[in-house]
Amino acid sequence: MDRIKLFQISAFIIVLIIIFRLFYWQFLSGLRSTQDSSLKESEIPASRGEIYSSDGFPLVTNQEAFLIYAKPHELDKKAQDIAKTLAPDLISEKYATNPAGLNEEELKKKEDEIKQKMEELTKKLENKNLFWVQLARKVPLKVKEKIEKSKITGIEFERDEKRFYPEASMAAQLLGFVGFDKFGSDVGYFGLEGHWDRHLRGKNGRLGQEQDPHGLPILVGQYKRIEPKKGTALTLSIDRTIQFIVEEKLKNAVEKYGAKDGTVIIADPQEGTILAMATYPTYNSQLRIEFDEKLYKNTAVADTFEPGSTFKVIAMAAALDLSAVDPSTKCTICTGPQKIGGFEISTWNKKYYPNSTMAEVIEHSDNVGMTFVSEKLGIDKFYDYIIKFGFGKRTGIDLQEEQAGSVRDKDQWRPIDVATASFGQGIAVTPIQMVQAIGAIANGGKLISPRIVTEIKQNEKEEKTKPENAKQIVSTKTASQITEMMVNAVEKGEARAFVPKGYRIAGKTGTAQIPIAGHYDPDKTIASFVGFAPAEKPKFVMLVRFTEPSSSPFGSETAAPTFFSIAKDLFNHFGIPPKE
Amino acid sequence: MLPVSDFKVGKKQDFNFIGKIKVKILVIAAISVVGLFMAQLVFANKLATDGQKLSLIEEEIRNLEAQNLTLKVSIAQESSLVSISKKAQGLGFEKPSQILTPQSLLD
Repeated sequence: MDRIKLFQISAFIIVLIIIFRLFYWQFLSGLRSTQDSSLKESEIPASRGEIYSSDGFPLVTNQEAFLIYAKPHELDKKAQDIAKTLAPDLISEKYATNPAGLNEEELKKKEDEIKQKMEELTKKLENKNLFWVQLARKVPLKVKEKIEKSKITGIEFERDEKRFYPEASMAAQLLGFVGFDKFGSDVGYFGLEGHWDRHLRGKNGRLGQEQDPHGLPILVGQYKRIEPKKGTALTLSIDRTIQFIVEEKLKNAVEKYGAKDGTVIIADPQEGTILAMATYPTYNSQLRIEFDEKLYKNTAVADTFEPGSTFKVIAMAAALDLSAVDPSTKCTICTGPQKIGGFEISTWNKKYYPNSTMAEVIEHSDNVGMTFVSEKLGIDKFYDYIIKFGFGKRTGIDLQEEQAGSVRDKDQWRPIDVATASFGQGIAVTPIQMVQAIGAIANGGKLISPRIVTEIKQNEKEEKTKPENAKQIVSTKTASQITEMMVNAVEKGEARAFVPKGYRIAGKTGTAQIPIAGHYDPDKTIASFVGFAPAEKPKFVMLVRFTEPSSSPFGSETAAPTFFSIAKDLFNHFGIPPKE
Repeated sequence: MLPVSDFKVGKKQDFNFIGKIKVKILVIAAISVVGLFMAQLVFANKLATDGQKLSLIEEEIRNLEAQNLTLKVSIAQESSLVSISKKAQGLGFEKPSQILTPQSLLD
């Protein structure tokens, strides 16, 4: 064989090898590389939507935070040493961020917590079988920077945004909070975060990108990006200034009257929008784990109570609307206690006012007078009006934990039930239901469902939420008659000394005993005051409620003064001058 | 009738003309192919090395977004009513007992 032929055969074999290798790289290896690490598929987390007050201030926004994880097989230091470095920064925020403000007991608790954390971290870091182990979530930027300075190989970070509350604990129960679901994803619980969770959470994006061995993107390679969709931002009807005033006054009042808790709701009766909603005691959303879980629930919508005398307004409105009575109708049974179905009904102060007019019945908060009204109404009609006023079903407010209250079925009502319901006992309502019902009277007899979110914003597209169609539940005449009765009750009632001068305020006190195991507790009460102002053109409707006030059990001595104190500030806030 | 010699000459001239065009087209095509190939090589090479630049730009965007978020949070915290009221109290401000509005002055 000559040399040329030998060369030709060698060249042919080399070309064949090259072609085969190219074929391998192009097709065979290509198939495998689709599952290879060179194509990096990663999730781009979507930011959760912010929540703004009516003046556009963020009540809830997002803060930079990180997930810390370790690659145990890459660690260059002993697990115990790393745990010792990390533990003081990964304990609960209360202890980690405020070392100067801690007392002795808290310092001891902090040390215990650090010890526990160290043990937990050591256990995780020592497990070399794990490729990846999560150490902590939602760690603040400062902590991340501090850990980075320690230069520990094998400890890495990932973006993990966290909720931030610029106004600290303001409206905490109303806003709710963000926790984790069983898969570790963010999910809203309670209040607005719970109700609007699907809108607020947005949609995570995905990024598929080919990378070189150094992890840098190859621009001529495959590139697939699905942009994350940021969650919807909500604008609330909550007026930050009013909320601030209310929370401050409520806290002082609960402490002053020694109450177990207190609730204040303020709404715009024409729009049904909530201007402020506060509960005390409350919690700090940033440090919620430190607080009792019972505080997470917003009692303004989730707590049911017997409304007591504030409910007299509802029964009287029903009777006036049906023309069963008029403001000048005289009570023919108000001479003394009344016996119905074996039960005795008496007045709260054992004083009796024979031949009282209906306006005087409301003024004296006369239980016997209301029994007279309930007899005129009858079971069917009274029950229908209770339902018409929105009791026994949810108001539809955009808060997750709202309860429906409790109104027994019509066929279970006995004459005594009608009588007691007329002065607000034997029926369970939520504070928001009371505000909705009294708001209807303030709104000329039109009932509007309360709402908090007024605008939703998604991708620069703003959409205003619309109020539900108002339902005329009582006539304008009835609304105006009952308003006058409520004004009279304020001006001549027990709490008249606290009323701001020069303003016409419509309102009604309530003192309800608390039912315990089939009877009423003689010492414990729920004191409340509900009303609106200015009476002729209401700018706000407000409910103040205290559970078990210890300084005085009466609404006129606890809830009413608080109502008028807040109302005074509201007149200033709205620029409503006194008439006289 | 045309002379035979004239016919032959004419045919030969026509063949040369088409041939020249074909050669030119081939040359242009070859240059284009080589040029495009080279351009692709240059651009691909450039793009492949630009991965690092892209990575740096993305990192910069992330940093700026993070700084924006931190600033937004700081502004919100400083302008919160909780913070302002504390500062006001510290400076000796008091709550007004009555607020005068243009309407209240007219009344």
